[in-house]
Amino acid sequence: MRTLKLTGQVVALAAVAGLLGLLVWRLTHQAQAPKIGAQAPVFSLKRVDASGTLDLASLRGKPVVLNFWASWCGPCKGEAKMLEAAWQQYRARGVVFLGVDYHDVTGDARRFLDRHNITYPTVQDGSGKIADRYGVSAVPETYFIDRRGRLVGEHIMGTVVHQRDAFQRGVEAALRP
Amino acid sequence: MIVRVAAVAAAALTLAGPAAAACAKPHTSLTALEGEIMCPTCHTTLDQSDSAAARRIEHFIQVRIDQCATESDIKADLVRNFGAGILAAPPRKGFDLLAWWLPLGGLAVGAVVLAFGVWRWSRARGPDDEPELDPDTERQLDDLLARLD
Repeated sequence: MRTLKLTGQVVALAAVAGLLGLLVWRLTHQAQAPKIGAQAPVFSLKRVDASGTLDLASLRGKPVVLNFWASWCGPCKGEAKMLEAAWQQYRARGVVFLGVDYHDVTGDARRFLDRHNITYPTVQDGSGKIADRYGVSAVPETYFIDRRGRLVGEHIMGTVVHQRDAFQRGVEAALRP
Repeated sequence: MIVRVAAVAAAALTLAGPAAAACAKPHTSLTALEGEIMCPTCHTTLDQSDSAAARRIEHFIQVRIDQCATESDIKADLVRNFGAGILAAPPRKGFDLLAWWLPLGGLAVGAVVLAFGVWRWSRARGPDDEPELDPDTERQLDDLLARLD
């Protein structure tokens, strides 16, 4: 009987320790938005505009404008034209624009790209895991990544249309050697 | 007259389009699925959300229902797009089965522990050690009670 009691106590203690360990692991592994100057979280996501995947690490050495959007997002429609125009303006200087379609249906995303004549590469983050790693709270949000893969400039929350100066500064910061 | 006939024909064609597109015998309904699918941006089920993302997903579901897709087809499409987190309940297969069986296992273990505890407690009370009356005393007590009546 004493052995049984001891076994019960050990099992209960192990269960409590396990739950405590799980809590500590969860707290220490919670996604935290990277700060400006920190390395941008890398990812490899399925492309929406073409077949295959695109790896952010493969763009190392190039300034990147990373725009999170969704087809159901009203302000994203409003900024699509400006982003495409900016891409046409800056691509000659080596800047890569990369759209990240967030929590969206692939068909809707493709229709959005067609409707707004978006020609820069776009990947799909259907589960929103990558957006979580960047700390995206709502779309649209835009980040700037320099040649060394660091986040630079200001992180633009909301449409870039109303934050043209910040957008300009972000692209220039990303272009800086 | 020709204009009127043309207008009626155009109206008929306009109405016939969506009618032909809809499934004659849908396998499921939007109402049935709304409570089983999560809105990815608001973390509630679709029936409790009015966000733009939820409305787009509802539209997607309705289009698939109109194409005669089954409930499992629609869920598979959504999981492909949004990941397994789009489902309100975890799938009943693979590692996700744990989410179903662990609570039941916990309940079963709890019931066993409780039953064992009750059994031990009842045994710990021991036999009833109240002394019985000897026959003489019992007879005297009966006599006394009889006199009182």
